[in-house]
Order: sequence, then C-alpha cells, then structure tokens
Amino acid sequence: MMSGEPLNILLVEDNLDHAELAMRNLDDALIANRIVHVEDGEQALDYLYNRGRYTDSKLCPKPHLMLLDLRLPKVDGLEVLEKVKADPELRSIPVVILTTSSAERDLAMAYEHHANSYVTKPVDFESFTRMLRDLGFYWLAWNKRPW
Amino acid sequence: MEETDKEMVQRRRRLRRLVAVPIAIALVVAIGLYWTITSYLLKDAEDKLKTLVLTQRAFHQYIQQVMHPTFYRALAHGEVKADFYRPEILSSSFIVRNIHELYNSERKASGLEEIYYKLASINPRNPVNRADPFEANLIRRFNEDHNLKEYSTVITMNGRRYLYFAKPFLMNNEACMKCHGRRQDAPPGLQKLYPGEGGFNEKLGQIRAIESYRLPLGGEFTVAVIVTASLSVGLLVLMLLLLFNVRLRDLVRLQTRDLADEIEERKAKEAELERKNAELERFAYTVSHDLKSPLITIRGFSGALLKDVEKGRYDRLGKDLHRVMDAADKMSALLNDLLELSRIGRIVNPAMTVGMQELVAEAVDGLAGGLEEAGIEVVVQPDLPQVFVDRNRVVEVLQNLIENAVKYRGDQPAPRIEIGQRPDGVFFVRDNGIGIEACYLETIFGLFNKLDAKSEGTGIGLALVRRIVEFHGGMVWAESAGSGQGTTICFTLPATQVADGSDMEIAQRSVR
Repeated sequence: MMSGEPLNILLVEDNLDHAELAMRNLDDALIANRIVHVEDGEQALDYLYNRGRYTDSKLCPKPHLMLLDLRLPKVDGLEVLEKVKADPELRSIPVVILTTSSAERDLAMAYEHHANSYVTKPVDFESFTRMLRDLGFYWLAWNKRPW
Repeated sequence: MEETDKEMVQRRRRLRRLVAVPIAIALVVAIGLYWTITSYLLKDAEDKLKTLVLTQRAFHQYIQQVMHPTFYRALAHGEVKADFYRPEILSSSFIVRNIHELYNSERKASGLEEIYYKLASINPRNPVNRADPFEANLIRRFNEDHNLKEYSTVITMNGRRYLYFAKPFLMNNEACMKCHGRRQDAPPGLQKLYPGEGGFNEKLGQIRAIESYRLPLGGEFTVAVIVTASLSVGLLVLMLLLLFNVRLRDLVRLQTRDLADEIEERKAKEAELERKNAELERFAYTVSHDLKSPLITIRGFSGALLKDVEKGRYDRLGKDLHRVMDAADKMSALLNDLLELSRIGRIVNPAMTVGMQELVAEAVDGLAGGLEEAGIEVVVQPDLPQVFVDRNRVVEVLQNLIENAVKYRGDQPAPRIEIGQRPDGVFFVRDNGIGIEACYLETIFGLFNKLDAKSEGTGIGLALVRRIVEFHGGMVWAESAGSGQGTTICFTLPATQVADGSDMEIAQRSVR
C-alpha cells in the first residue's frame, strides 16, 4: 500500500468454506492485491517452490504473508511450517497459523517450529471479520519486511 | 508366576531327596567317628588296665622266683621248721589278692573307682578264687586254644559298662606242681592248712587260672557320643547350609527371571495403555477440531448472509445458505459416524460361522442403487470360505470399502470393483480408481484423515474398518501401485471358532 508493490497472501486452508470466509473478509478490507488459496500442504510447498501447477514464478511470487491451517491433507501444516522455516530463501515469510484448534500441543509445536503468530478461528462472525482485518493490517501495513 | 500344586509337590519331593543325601553322609561319618573314638578310648583304658595286670604279674613272679627258692633253701638248711607254711608269705595268689585289696582302698581314698580283680580258678584252693560261670568258660577256652593270649571285651552289669580283661595265669610247670600236684607231694604245712582237694591234682601244661579284671568305664562313651554328635551335627549343618545356599540361589534366579518377565509384561501393558491414551487424546482433539469446523462455517456464513441482506446484496444468498446447510449436514453425519465408531467393542454381537459369500452379497445388495448409478461393475469371486465373525460388522466393513471404491473411482471410464480372497487367505476389495501414493497408504486409516479435502464423507470410514477388523483379531492394510493405479484394501478374518486369544492368533496366522 505504502510502496505500491502488489501484496500477496498465500492462504493454505483445506476447508473451502473457511477459505471463502477468509478471502471475503480480506477482500472487503482491501488489504492485499492478491490472495492465493491452496487446499493442502503439498500444494502449498509446490507454490512456494514453484513446482507442479505453480512453475511460473512471475504468476506465483513469494507471498508477503502466509496464513496456514494446521490440519491439512497429505502434507500436514506443521510440516509445511518446518520446511519453510528451514529454508533460508523462505524463512523470512511471516507465517500466521490460522486454525480451528486451540490445543496447547498445537500451539507449542507451532512456536517450536518458529511460527510468527498463532490465532484460532473465532466462531463468532464479527470477531472473525475483525481478526482477519487486524491481522492483514498488522502484517502487511505496519510490519516492516526485509525485502 | 503362579506355582501349581503339582509343581510345589514335586519341588518338595526333590528337596526332600536332596536333604536325604547330607543326612546319610552325616550318619555314615557319625558311625565312623563313634567307632574310631570308642576304640581309641577303649584301647587307652585297656592300656591302663594292663599296667595293673603286668604289675601284679611281676608280684607273682617275684614271689615264685625269688621268695620261694629262698624259702626252700632255708627249709633245706633247717632254718625253718619242716612243716612251716604261711599263705601270707608263700601263696602268691593270697599275697597279690591282698595287695589288690589294699590297692583298691588306696584308689578309693584317691576318689577313684575300684577295679575288680580275681585270680579265677575252676579248682581253687581258696573258695574266694572260685571262677564264676563266665570266667570258668573263659578258662576252658584258654585251655582249648593256647594261641589265645588275652581276652578283652565290654560288658554291661547292673546297667553299668565295664571293660573286661582276662589273661591266662602262668601255665603249670614243675615248680608249680610242688604245691598244686598230688596232695601228698605238697609241703606238709600246706596240706595242713588246706584240708580239701581244692588247688591239688592240677595237670602239667594246663592253665590253672586266669587273671580276671573289670574296669568300670566312666565318661568314655559319653565323650564319644558328645564328640561324635557335635562333629556330625556341625557337618550336617554345614552341608545343609551349602545345599540351601545353592537352592536359594536357584530360587532367587528363578524369581528374578519371573520378576523380569512380569516387568516386561507390565511394560508392554504400559506401552499399550500409553498408545491407547495417545489415541484417545488424538480422538478428542480431532473430534473437537472437526466438530468446530462446521460450526465456524455455519456461524461465519450466517453473519455474511445477514450483512449481505442488510446491504441488499442477494446474488450469493442461495450459495451461502447451501454452505450453512451442508455444514449442518456434515456435523450430523460426523456425529452419527462417531457414535458408530464408539459402538465397536462396546456393543458386541456374538460371532458366528457364516459364509463370506453371503456377507459380500448382502453388502453389494445394500449399495446396489449407488453402484448402478455410478455404472460400476462388481465382480465377486465364487466359493469364498466360511468365517467366524460378527456378521453385521463385517457387512459394514465391506460396505465401507465398496463405498470408498465408488467415491474414489475418479474419471475411470470403466469402473470396476473386485471382491475375493487371495491364495494366501487374505480377503481383498480392489478397484481401478484414483489409487493412493505409497506415502499415504497408512495415513488413510487415521481418524478424520482424508487425502482430498473436497471429497465427501467424514474421514471416519476407514478408521471404522480398521477398528472392526482389529476387533476380530485381524489386520487391514492398503495396497496401490500409485496415483491412478487403483487401490486394493486387504484384510484378514478368523476362519473358525477359537477357544481364546492365543488360538485366535494361530487361526489368524493360518488364514494369512
């Protein structure tokens, strides 16, 4: 927004309804230029490494924010997180865990794997809307990136 | 480990046998010891007695060899009267008998017990020397066997033990015959003194009398008993201690082994419990997660709907309402499946022997509508065997597997499901659908695990299948050559009625 550079969000979410809700709210808040939605961990990694369907790095640039669900088919959210944070090229991407689970174990494991933030999806719609808007503003507008 | 009565009886018997050995050894040692000690002590007593015997014999010798010649010389020279005879001076038996009486009184005065002594004769000059029947018998024995030089034995008299010792008195020689030959040849003094025939008419070369002694035995046997008993008991105790030490070590080793086994068993149980706990935790976690998920959808889209209605935006109302309804349906299906899953192991129908053919037919018939609609060809192998199972549950397993095959047929133009049994006894449900990549072959059996987020179903089906098959003691696994290569779900079931868990395993192996 400030730089005029197009801002990308990578949304990794297997529940299509939840993904739709998140994207609507982010769109309404006019935070990002583009939201890419993938449905499982494998696709997320394919996107990040420009593999499979996402080989064109122009169309699939490095995201400025990653919203990552934990329970995902095929490659689990934690595994994706681990791979991202282990890769010097990718580890600077802010990864926000956005999940249904409020289990302590998940929380602990996420931070152990260097998640930048951990939020649970609020059941209440108003809260859901406000949280996504705040989240987007914080990470994409207020937060300073190294690139 | 529990010891059976039979084992305990056997162990006791073995122990009794083992204990008998040291007791026998101790007994043999005791007998040997007692014999050695008593013979040593008796020999010692005999030696003591012999000192007395020899001393007395020396008196006799002195009287006969020194005093008698002196007397006869004096008689020949007329220094004594021709008819002089005094036993106090001339009779060696008289003199020695009296010396012995004095000796006994000396013993008594010194606090020692008296020693019996008699110069026993069958034909005594003095009646005090008359042999008792025992002595008379001995005299006859000595006369019969001249090689017998002495006789000793232990005798019991009036409850008292004695060392009896006898030695033949001097054999009659020419000198002896002066006084013991014919009466008329004896010195006149002697004839006058002993009017009877006693002591006369002896024969040359005959043993006239024996020296008969009785030494009272005091503590000898007590000492032998005490020494023997203490040594033998000591030995026995030592041997038993050694034996019990060995037994004890065996016992400790056995019990240590049993304890180790028990610990192993407990560890296995603990691990099993831990596994179950983890499973339960995972279950609770997934349940809360998967039940919360549709709630977020319902609440979220209700909010979005409300907002759209407020804004007068109606284009996506229908779609959003469907999302809400679908989420509610999904929640309902989830709850039903969860209920079903929790029933396994809780609600048990008795197992029965039933034809697998019949169960497969029932499952296929139940899904006939869906199969026909999807245009799927179902091939069932004939002559499937009998199985011993909860029939309704196994039908449920088959239905779940067939439903999965339908669900994941992909864009296969000629979908086909094969149901049968391999030569190794494993049952299978094979499809030619989308297949599974090797790394996900195990994942699909996890609760709520779906490889495709968009696919219908709750993710409980295969978890349910696994629980039912494992509840029957069987195994279930997936085989697939990879994506697009179709999937085969394999499982085993018990073939026959079995008595208990271990037999179940054997039956299981034979089926595999």
